[in-house]
Amino acid sequence: MSAADTLRQDIIAVGSYVIVQRQKYRKLYKLPAENGGGNMLALGKERVEMSAIIGKPFWTTFKMIPTNSNKKLTNGKSYRLEEVHAAESLDDLKDLLPSGMDNRKITDDGTSQKLSTQEIMELREAGKSGREIVGSLIENSQTFSAKTKYSQEKYLRKKERKYFLYLTIHKPTIHLLQEIYFQQDHVKIGSLRMDSLAQILSYCDVKSDGLYLLYDSGSQGLAAASLLTRIGAKTSGRLVYLHPGNMAQTTLIRAMNFSNEQINRLSTVNIYSLMRMYYQDAMESKESFGSRDASGDSSKLVDPDSPEAQIQCNDSPNLLKRKHSDATVSSMVPKKKPKWLSETQSAVDLLKSCKVEGLAILAAKEHPLNIVKGLLPFLGTSRPFVIFHAYREPLQEVYVMLKQRCDVMNIRLLSNFLRSYQVLDDRTHPDILMNDVGGYLLVGYLVN
Amino acid sequence: MSFNKAKEYIEEGDTVILYLGPNNMHSIDVVHKIMNKKGELTDNVFQTIYGALKVPSLVGEKYGAKVQLSRGWAYVLQPTSELWTVTLPHRTQIIYTPDISLITYLLELVPGSIVVETGTGSGSLSHSLIRIIQPLGHLYTFDFHEQRASLACAEFEKHGLSDFVTVQHRDVCADGFGEKLNNKADAIFLDLPHPWLTIDHAVKTLKNSGGKLCSFSPCIEQVQRTCEKLTATGFVDLKTYECLEKELSVQYKSLPVLDLECLKHKRISEEAIDKVEKNEEDRRKYEKILTVTHSSSLPGHTGFITIATLPPVFARIIKTS
Repeated sequence: MSAADTLRQDIIAVGSYVIVQRQKYRKLYKLPAENGGGNMLALGKERVEMSAIIGKPFWTTFKMIPTNSNKKLTNGKSYRLEEVHAAESLDDLKDLLPSGMDNRKITDDGTSQKLSTQEIMELREAGKSGREIVGSLIENSQTFSAKTKYSQEKYLRKKERKYFLYLTIHKPTIHLLQEIYFQQDHVKIGSLRMDSLAQILSYCDVKSDGLYLLYDSGSQGLAAASLLTRIGAKTSGRLVYLHPGNMAQTTLIRAMNFSNEQINRLSTVNIYSLMRMYYQDAMESKESFGSRDASGDSSKLVDPDSPEAQIQCNDSPNLLKRKHSDATVSSMVPKKKPKWLSETQSAVDLLKSCKVEGLAILAAKEHPLNIVKGLLPFLGTSRPFVIFHAYREPLQEVYVMLKQRCDVMNIRLLSNFLRSYQVLDDRTHPDILMNDVGGYLLVGYLVN
Repeated sequence: MSFNKAKEYIEEGDTVILYLGPNNMHSIDVVHKIMNKKGELTDNVFQTIYGALKVPSLVGEKYGAKVQLSRGWAYVLQPTSELWTVTLPHRTQIIYTPDISLITYLLELVPGSIVVETGTGSGSLSHSLIRIIQPLGHLYTFDFHEQRASLACAEFEKHGLSDFVTVQHRDVCADGFGEKLNNKADAIFLDLPHPWLTIDHAVKTLKNSGGKLCSFSPCIEQVQRTCEKLTATGFVDLKTYECLEKELSVQYKSLPVLDLECLKHKRISEEAIDKVEKNEEDRRKYEKILTVTHSSSLPGHTGFITIATLPPVFARIIKTS
């Protein structure tokens, strides 16, 4: 990769997706294709004008400067961004005051803070920085200096979260996207926890060359984006991504800002269209293809929760609607060969030309049995498959079905235990909360 | 030569996996002659519980084919990193697939990444790293044990992977990763007794545009010291995980169903009772269910995986306390 390429990749460009981080909170945001007005990010009740980030390198930190001093404004404050070298830190505040040994002298009677809510609000309105506000808070707190240093640190972290007015912009990666979506609502990405996703990539033996087949109905495109990332840029690998509805979920594929070269090696195809074209004569079935969208093979499987719901997309607020109407239009005019038809044709050609080197099936809502039966014939011998499901029972049934066949071996049903840790000096322990929705994996190899 | 690309047929010189059962897999080299214990070249015959296999006969077989043994049969598979991990010759403790998966995922490796690994050990993780980064990337792997380094080197050569990996015998805690690698790496993996001693070297080795560092340690004290050092040298987003894989064994179970309802009603005569009891015996109900059993013994701990991000130079903040 040339230096110029690397440079371009690391600069925030119009029309691209970025991850905005404020403290521990992260959000996916799409920059409009043209840098004009309406480049607004909503952070809770607050609105941030984002134009300043364009042309800056990823990892740049910005200060949020209030732009309206109108106190009556009910729908939150507006901010603009100003580049800073680093966010201010409150870490040294705790060194200014002594600390106590334990909490025997501290009573929670709500009187330790001498500043009133009104006074604190005024500090905020006066445009004081978070550091200045928290400084006054601890100066006026009767108990702060009696707290232990650990408790002081915790207090500062808590206050920092409240008054912190800095944003850092990151480049979207699979890991960050998975984390954001999983934390917000894991069901939206098919309960695909990172350890399960990581194992799908391993057990599927994804490499930079070869053809891979994926069926996914509910991860917003996370699985396809992960496989495509592993297949890599400027390589020869290809991915066929099958989905059951009218529209594939592609939010997280787009969020990765893949280059055209890389995205062109991804074929997104409806599984019914593919199977029909693969097994029936393409010529004779063309007419029925034309009416596929209208007949709605499986339109009930289309997720009513719009895939766009979680990201903010300024340049086309009606993107989803528009796409839907596009689809209807194309199905009404069967004479013009629609894009999905040529895409299906090229996927069928690919699958007829060679066997796939790895098969991954993530059935979000459907029973995986028939999908496994339908897709195993595309897999090469001595090649692995992975089936992920949020429930165990359907995978048990698939296991029994596969055991009865003689061409599948080393089948294993797996589930993971994942625990994260708080690591701090003298305060290391497992995190208080963990997540028990890792799902189940069924892995194995196809043989002769 | 069977590791770098998916192949259809077995060729001489390939390493293949002989599958006899889920807990009985072997990696064997398809060569005509091997060295026996006395140091003499003999015909390559592999002994299994189902009889002998004349290894050279595998040449030309399709990967995934069923092969005849003198008292049974087996499958031959092309090795994947996962199969290699469960069949490789152990020279050290190794890292297994659940941890490998999480490590490679968290390091955000892609084809083209430059990765540093230490120590090489038995090469279990190395094979997975190479699989992901080839053909454009490179793995630099270090071990302070000379024989281990040279054995690993020979193994990569045999597997056709030497274009993508450089093995070095070196004590990185003392000597760092070498000038040549300064500002070269996208990711660094540490599996060392004292990982915190290499962090300063790691900062030099990671690219100016930043990168990832992952440390694998069995003990929490190691994690604690490493995290302290990482924070002090400008790493951010530190996370520590533990990941254990459970295998569930799928089974049908029959559960007897007791009928307690019939006891609520008075019986009419002795005769009827006899009849009812007889019928009950006949109708002793069983419900067949499909379920799983859990393992009574499984890995309860492997190691803690710590992941940290080094921001690009302009965004690094070194906190001085």
